[in-house]
Amino acid sequence: MNSIHSSWSNIFIAHIKRDILTNSRSLLDLISIVGFMILIIILFPLGLGPIKEKLNIVSNAVIWVGLILAIIPSLEKLLQKDFENGWLDQIATSPAPLEIIMLSKAISYWLIMLIPLIITSPIFAILLDMDLKNIPWLVISISAGSLAISLIGLSGSALILGARKGNILLPILIIPLMTPILIFGVGVNEAVKINESPFGNLFLLLALTLIYLVISPFISALLVRIAIGR
Amino acid sequence: MLYLEGLTVQRGNKIVFSDFNTIIKSGSITLIKGKNGSGKSTLLRAIVGFTPLEKGTIKNDKKNVFNNNEEWVNNLIFLDTKTGLSKDLTVIENLNAWSTMKGWSSNKENLTMALKSVGMDKYADLYISQSSEGLKKRAALARLYLSFINKVDFWILDEPTNELDKTSLVLFKQLISKFLKQNGTIIIATHDLTIVEDQFNILDLDDFKKQRVS
Repeated sequence: MNSIHSSWSNIFIAHIKRDILTNSRSLLDLISIVGFMILIIILFPLGLGPIKEKLNIVSNAVIWVGLILAIIPSLEKLLQKDFENGWLDQIATSPAPLEIIMLSKAISYWLIMLIPLIITSPIFAILLDMDLKNIPWLVISISAGSLAISLIGLSGSALILGARKGNILLPILIIPLMTPILIFGVGVNEAVKINESPFGNLFLLLALTLIYLVISPFISALLVRIAIGR
Repeated sequence: MLYLEGLTVQRGNKIVFSDFNTIIKSGSITLIKGKNGSGKSTLLRAIVGFTPLEKGTIKNDKKNVFNNNEEWVNNLIFLDTKTGLSKDLTVIENLNAWSTMKGWSSNKENLTMALKSVGMDKYADLYISQSSEGLKKRAALARLYLSFINKVDFWILDEPTNELDKTSLVLFKQLISKFLKQNGTIIIATHDLTIVEDQFNILDLDDFKKQRVS
């Protein structure tokens, strides 16, 4: 029994390695995410006009909304490629449960696509005139919330497998699920702005992340099984 | 022995086949034939456990295979027309990823031997995106060799020879003979009954359907 579980962790790591390797060969997805994010960050101040104070008020929310919108196009491809080339069929014949493999997919997506956004978020914050004391909290809240976002994205991506026009359906299905993450994520920094403790919002954000960490692999695995059974 | 008992499979509203019974002996090779759309692929996917059964059971000796699905899928290699190769990886990287996915140790020697068994060792570092269809198929068939190192009892192959040239077909036949000698069981869906030289059984889905009607 012990050896089975140790091989599960090996398989888990092997999947993450494969995903990182595949994505490192075609950086287009990553470039498009960061590029989209930069566009949002550039467009917003242009739309707001020249008054600097306005920017400070909305900067926190703009970064969060930008993050959610920027990753939507890449979420479609999260499982779609592997579904089309038959890899999902193959991993269904793996000794490791599909749930574990789905979790590895969410983690590798987070590592590949969201870590670069977390790293660059202080730059975006400075561009949007955010106070320096808020920036560490922004990074912390995005780090916690983005894992939940990738877990929700994974389930959404599994849901549209094999569906025609899935790319239109996906945002409509998953953005409502992301609203709690957005509310508490933004709430962390709003609390810091008015000199209150950000921990209430941060802990709720972490709690949400943990909930999705538990349920999302099961939902995704179930949906993948349905997709390959058709 | 693999017992398929009363299999009924439905896709959407259409019943692909109903009350299908057959016995597949261990160490034998079974070719499933039938015209397009007769349900060859669906039958294979049902045996692996992808397509859910409306009715019926599949037993390996006395055990219902889906009671312990992990043990069952671990005991077989399934190869579809969709090969599961990532086009962003090279031939050997794909094989390595597949082997670790199966929970098998993937040392380089074994992988190279596997590639050699289908004549792909020259192409180990070729990207799948740059490979021809035939090379892709051979890169996928290299997985079969790994079942001689790790314990696998079943090969379930869907149109494995479509894109192969004559030389690779010979190599494929060699793999099959070797696996049969180890008492492995092979189920192949194909139109071409000349792909196997060993003695084989035929499962004709068209005949089965005619009998059902009459």
